[in-house]
Amino acid sequence: MANPLRLYLACIKNTLEAAMCLQNFPCQEVERHNKPEVELKTSPELLLNPVLICRNEAEKCLIETSINSLRISLKVKQADELENILTKKFLRFLSMRAEAFQVLRRKPVQGYDISFLITNYHCEEMQKQKLIDFIIQFMEDIEKEISELKISVNTRGRLVATEFLKQFM
Amino acid sequence: MAGGGGGFVEAEAIIARIETKSTKIESLLKQYKPVEALKTALEGSPPKTLDERCKSANWIVVHRALMAIKDIEGMLNALDVEYYDILMKYLYRGLSTGDRPTCDQCLKIHEKLTERAGLGCILRCLSDTLNTV
Repeated sequence: MANPLRLYLACIKNTLEAAMCLQNFPCQEVERHNKPEVELKTSPELLLNPVLICRNEAEKCLIETSINSLRISLKVKQADELENILTKKFLRFLSMRAEAFQVLRRKPVQGYDISFLITNYHCEEMQKQKLIDFIIQFMEDIEKEISELKISVNTRGRLVATEFLKQFM
Repeated sequence: MAGGGGGFVEAEAIIARIETKSTKIESLLKQYKPVEALKTALEGSPPKTLDERCKSANWIVVHRALMAIKDIEGMLNALDVEYYDILMKYLYRGLSTGDRPTCDQCLKIHEKLTERAGLGCILRCLSDTLNTV
């Protein structure tokens, strides 16, 4: 249904707009180092409360913020085994090309399908609104992509089986 | 030792208070006054306790009142501004449960509350590490 999806995306969008307040913060422990604090979690005073937004039992979104970085982890709906495999392969394909996306994380956080890591440098180079729109657009498009892939797999399987079995007729 | 004993007694007192509150809320819900019920539930929120049981007990009470709300606009009209922050914290707790009806209700209220209270409310909720719900 469109309406619960719209509410879910609106909630994530508002939370991201509030949470994306990043500034440069050199590492406190090591001189001349600058690390994304949300990944290391060494100093609790630099971290904000993580927020988990669930749409239902299968889909959820974890947003963790710190002073200079923000991590968004998504779990996508997977109805059956085939969708499970397709999601894993498709998102692994994207994650391996994380350099091209810049804000993507190479490995998803444990328990989720895909993760984004946004640092203060990204916020300086790119517009905050556009980053948030990208993430929301990504979430909308993922569902469409997975269902398209599923349909094409089923169609191909059917065509191949028909052709193969023709020789026995 | 005395401090530890005192802390334990305090938690018990808070849980007893929450139980009296929940009976009051049940009666209010029976009279079809869900807005009043929510106000009562949010009022005695014990933010400074570290005890998980108090927080869970209060969450159960607030959850009951939240699920009974049908008219969200009216509820937000009747609620005082100082309760917006606490309500937002409870909404995020509801969203983290993953239970479908709770999440639906919380998402609806979250949208309307953000329109009224703005992004500052969300940010206060994220940054307040001392008074968690």
